[in-house]
Amino acid sequence: MTIKPELQYSKDHEWVKKEDDLFVIGISDFAQDALGDLVFVNLPEVGDAVTAGEAFGDVESVKAVSDLLSPVSGTVAEINEELLDAPEMLNNDPYGAWIIKVSDVTATEELLDAAAYEAFCAEA
Amino acid sequence: MSELKRTQLYDAHVKAGATMVDFGGWEMPIQYPEGIVAEHLYTRSACGLFDVSHMGRLIIEGPERVAFLQHVLSSNVESLGLNQAQYCIIPAEDGSAVDDAYLYRFEEDRFLLVVNASNTDKDLAWFEPIVKNFDCTIRNITGETVSIAVQGPKSEEILKKLAGVDEVTKPARNNLSTLMMEGRKVLVSRTGYTAEPIGYELFLKNEDAYWMWNRLIELGGKPAGLGARDTLRMEGMLPLYGDEMGVDEEGKPMPIFALALARFAVSFDEAKGNFIGREALLKQSEAAASFRAKNYTPEAMETLRKRVRPIALLDRGVMRHGMGVYRNGEQIGWVTSGTMIPYFKTEGEGENVKLLDETGKRAIGICYIASDVPVNGEVEVDVRGKRLKAVIPSKHITNNVPPYVVPVIYKAK
Repeated sequence: MTIKPELQYSKDHEWVKKEDDLFVIGISDFAQDALGDLVFVNLPEVGDAVTAGEAFGDVESVKAVSDLLSPVSGTVAEINEELLDAPEMLNNDPYGAWIIKVSDVTATEELLDAAAYEAFCAEA
Repeated sequence: MSELKRTQLYDAHVKAGATMVDFGGWEMPIQYPEGIVAEHLYTRSACGLFDVSHMGRLIIEGPERVAFLQHVLSSNVESLGLNQAQYCIIPAEDGSAVDDAYLYRFEEDRFLLVVNASNTDKDLAWFEPIVKNFDCTIRNITGETVSIAVQGPKSEEILKKLAGVDEVTKPARNNLSTLMMEGRKVLVSRTGYTAEPIGYELFLKNEDAYWMWNRLIELGGKPAGLGARDTLRMEGMLPLYGDEMGVDEEGKPMPIFALALARFAVSFDEAKGNFIGREALLKQSEAAASFRAKNYTPEAMETLRKRVRPIALLDRGVMRHGMGVYRNGEQIGWVTSGTMIPYFKTEGEGENVKLLDETGKRAIGICYIASDVPVNGEVEVDVRGKRLKAVIPSKHITNNVPPYVVPVIYKAK
């Protein structure tokens, strides 16, 4: 399992990277591995409000659907439309395949650094 | 919780990195590290290996074995010759299914009946009071034997090599043979649950399990788990007890003739005589025949309100078991099985079909809906609060020309 040292992580296994005023959000390698082959992604629309701890979309594997829980509250500034046709990018390159970018962030969930996240996954 | 049972091959699955799950009281591989999509595609293009040792294997023997089986199964057991197998259903008196099963005749004087793992105990309890009236016995050999399904276009050449023969079984589906493979006796059946035109199920002794599994892998087979088994059977419209058979979302019994394949699994032959469920099934079969003639009479609709049909999603999304199906705003049934299923794009037709390297995926499944929805009729599916457009095609694949399954992709008019 890969954990990128430069990223922060939520306890729901999303990663967060700050790019200027935007929060870039994806799912961790641990999450993609646990979910299995992803075959469909439901994304919010640009301009939608997202709330920390609440679903902003979902991903479907062959076997099941799982909510994507937002680590931050704010407004969706960009979505990764490539994922709509190629959800397997989340399996193949979880840290390259960002899902949404959020602006006007007003709150965040508790975020872990790489070392704390690694310890958290080890307990899971 | 009672302890989960393990097949002889449990250690092989764990060592291969499989994700193990509880399936019908057995700890089984749902997938291996390459994942369900890769396992599905490998079975369609080469050869998938499935440990199906969890399925219930029952030996029926004794002088009145045929009379007993004729009474409890839907098929005409009298017509089953030596080295042949037949699909059958275990009907209840009301014409619903207790289970579905496969009956094999590897020997003159005994039958092998293979039933669903999760139903084995229920089936044995169902048979118990009945078999007492016949001079025959049922012996559960599930724990003493191993069963491996070898499915896909390369399966035949792998088994030819192992057995050193020119012909594994007679060419058509449902033929059986008993072969020696590298000094071990293996029962071979040209059957399977993947809809592959070429595929086999093997039955062997426990002590031969590892030898067989490893040899099959060495010769080009790849392990595939229950996840791929489910997507493969769904694409081929093969019913799964609990989804397309048994009771519906409201707990109502589903009539056996709701399934298109009931026609081939239920016999009203004179030689068969009376059997459990016959009266109800005869009525159902008349209703099904009337639907085939596109004659949706009130009597037929009353007998068979709903039928099991393929369904393909036209909007973006994924259907799952239990989602409501609607026509003009009115609910007409449910999705019984659904997911996103991968396929190979193909070129050519008939015997000249070639699989291309390029793959696609499609949100398809099986539904149980009002009997009068025509082929290519449009419906809607409630996918977590959103009504998505879907269609009822005639089928998802064709598999009548070996060696390849060819996907039938619905094209909106």
